[in-house]
Amino acid sequence: MFKKILIANRGEIAVRILRACRELGIKTVAVYSTADRQALHVRNADEAYLLGPSPARDSYLRGDKIIDIARKCGADAIHPGYGFLAERADFAAACESAKLVFIGPKASSIATMGDKAVARATVAKAGVQVVPGSEGEGSLRDDELLAYAPKIGFPLIIKAVSGGGGKGMRDVRTLEEMPELIQSARREAESSFGDGNVYLEKLVEGARHIEFQIMADQFGNVIHLGERECSIQRRHQKLIEESPSPYLSNDQPLRQQMGVVAIQAARAVDYANAGTIEFLLDTNRNFYFLEMNTRLQVEHPVTEMVTGMDIVAEQIRVAFGWKLSRKQEDIRWRGAAIECRINVEDPYNGFLPSSGRITLTQPPTGPGVRIDSGVYQGFEISPYYDPLISKMIVWGETRPQAIMRMRRALEEYKIVGVRTNIPFHQTIMDTYPFITGKYDTRFVEEQFSMLDAVENREMYLDIAALMATLVANVQMEHRTQKYEKTAQNSTWKWAGRQTRSNR
Amino acid sequence: MKYIAQVDGLEFPIEILDEHHICFGGEIIEVDLAAVSGQPLYSLIVNGESYEGYVYPDEQSWQVLLLGRSYSVSIEDEREKRLRTTLTSIVGPGNEYILKAPMPGLAISVPIDEGQKVEKGQILVILESMKMQNELRAPFTGKVARLKIKVGESVHQKQILLNLVSPHGPISSITEHK
Repeated sequence: MFKKILIANRGEIAVRILRACRELGIKTVAVYSTADRQALHVRNADEAYLLGPSPARDSYLRGDKIIDIARKCGADAIHPGYGFLAERADFAAACESAKLVFIGPKASSIATMGDKAVARATVAKAGVQVVPGSEGEGSLRDDELLAYAPKIGFPLIIKAVSGGGGKGMRDVRTLEEMPELIQSARREAESSFGDGNVYLEKLVEGARHIEFQIMADQFGNVIHLGERECSIQRRHQKLIEESPSPYLSNDQPLRQQMGVVAIQAARAVDYANAGTIEFLLDTNRNFYFLEMNTRLQVEHPVTEMVTGMDIVAEQIRVAFGWKLSRKQEDIRWRGAAIECRINVEDPYNGFLPSSGRITLTQPPTGPGVRIDSGVYQGFEISPYYDPLISKMIVWGETRPQAIMRMRRALEEYKIVGVRTNIPFHQTIMDTYPFITGKYDTRFVEEQFSMLDAVENREMYLDIAALMATLVANVQMEHRTQKYEKTAQNSTWKWAGRQTRSNR
Repeated sequence: MKYIAQVDGLEFPIEILDEHHICFGGEIIEVDLAAVSGQPLYSLIVNGESYEGYVYPDEQSWQVLLLGRSYSVSIEDEREKRLRTTLTSIVGPGNEYILKAPMPGLAISVPIDEGQKVEKGQILVILESMKMQNELRAPFTGKVARLKIKVGESVHQKQILLNLVSPHGPISSITEHK
C-alpha cells in the first residue's frame, strides 16, 4: 500500500481524504495557501507545506509546485479531491511523468470526459442519448456561437468546456441577451479553470438531475453504487442531494437501465477509479447523458451512507492497483440518506456570500448524523474560495425518517460569526414538493421562496419580539454604562465613586 | 424600561421590571436570557419554556432567527428614539446613488471611468467573491461622480465603490443588486 499521500486540496474534502488515509495507516501531506495557514487540513496532516499566496491560481492551482513538494517529501501518490486540479488531464499526466500515482482516472480518460464536447460525442457513439448541443462544432468564437444558437433553440445553456460546479454557466432565454452572457461565462470559466472555451446545450425544462456513482479498477471491472438525486440546485449549484432518488424508488427497471448505461459510458473511456455519470431525466422519464465527473464528488457521502462503502478508501486501493473490493451483486442499498451543503451564504439577503471569523460552531451529533467539515471555532473564512464550509449528512431507515432527522439536526447546528444557508435548508425540509419528492431542477429558483414556504410553520411572534427586546435592552444598558464610564476623565475618580457607592 | 416591539404588523408592549421579570400583556412573567458563548446566539427561558435563537441588529430593526424562521422586529423606546434622531445620515443628496460592496471580494473589472456617463443596467464593477463573479450594475442612467475602486483591489462588505448621480433629479428608491 502507499506510504504517503499528498492531498492537493483544502477545506472539508482535504479533511475527508486525510481521514481515509489515516484509517488505512497512510501518512498524509497537506499543502496550503497563506490564507489557510490555520486550516483544519493543515493542522491534521502529518506534514504541511506552503504553496503560495491566497488566490487559487497562486496556490492550489500550482500543479508544478505541488508535484515538486510531493517529490521532495517522498509522497507516492497525490489525491486531488474535487475542483482545483482534479479534472486537469495535464496535471494527471505530469504526476505520471514524475512517477507519482494520481488518485483518479488515467489522464486520457480525464481529457476525453473533461472536454465536455468530446465526452458527449464519445458516449453518443456508444449508444447513449445526449442532450442536443454544439459539441460537434469544436471551440466556437462568439459570432459562431450566436449563429449556432437558433439551431438548438431557446432556452439554452452556455457551459464552460472545462467546467463544473456551476461555474462558467449561464442560462439564455433570448438571442439579444446572449452576447453579454457569453462574455460573463467566458470570464468566470477563465478565472475558475484557466480555460475560457464554452459550448451550448439545450436547456431541458422540468428535468431532474440524477447521477450514478461509478467505481472501476485497473482490471476492467466497473460497478455502480446506485444513484444520487441532485435536483435541489440554485444557479446550477447543488444544495441538497439524496440517495436513493425518490423519483426512481418505484421504478426499479429504469434505475437498472440507467445503471447499465452509466457503466457503459464509463467503459467507453476505459475508466478507472471513482467517477460520476450525470443524467437529466425529463418529464416523460427519458434520460440523457449530461456529463461525467472524473473525480470524487462533493455529495459522495450519501452513497457511502446507503451502501456502507468508503469511496475514498476504495479510490486509494484501486489507484494502488488492487481489485475492487466488491462485485456489483455484493452492493446492497439500505435506507435513505440526505446531504445538506452548508454554505456561508445568507438566504435572507439574496444568498450573498459572507466571510469572517466563526466565533461559535456547535455541530449536531446523535443517531444517524454525519458532519464533514473543514472549519472550527475561531477559524477565519476568507473570501478566496468556495462558500462550502461543511456538509451535513443524515441517514434514516426510510426517507421520512431521514427528513425528520435532518430537521432535528439542522435546528441543532449552530454557527455564529458568519451567516449560513441553514435556514434555507430548514425551509426546504418543510416544503410539500421536497417532502413528497416531487421536485425538479427549477424548483428552488422558480417555485421556492423563503417567505411562502414557511406559511405552515408555527409562528413565534411573541417569543421573537421578547427575545429582540431583551437583547436590545441589554445592549442599551451597555451603551449607557460605556457612555457614563467614558464621561469620567479619571478612572481613579470613577473607582473611588464606585467604592463609595458600594458602602 | 418600557418598550414597544413590532413584528409582522403586531405590537407587543413589553416592560422590563428587572433582570428576570417583565410585564407582558398585563402579566408579570419570569424570563432568563443568556448569550451562548458570545453573541448573537441567545438562550431564552420564558416561564419554563426554552428557546434558542440568533438576534442580529439590522439597520432599522432586529432580525431574529428562531426555529427555522426569520422575524424582523422593530423596537421603540424613548431613549432609543432620541439616539436615532441624533445620528447623522450618511445618505448623499437626493440625486446621488452610493454603490457599496454587497459582499467582501476582489474587483476583477471596473469597465468605467470617473466622470463617465452610464446607461441603466450597464456593468459598473465585477466583484469576485467565493469564486463567483457578481456584476454590479447601474440602477439608472447617470454619471459616475466619484470612483473609489481600482481593478485588483480587495474590498470590505459595504465599502463605498462609487457614487452615481442622476441628471434627472432625486432618485425615489435605491435599486437592490442581485
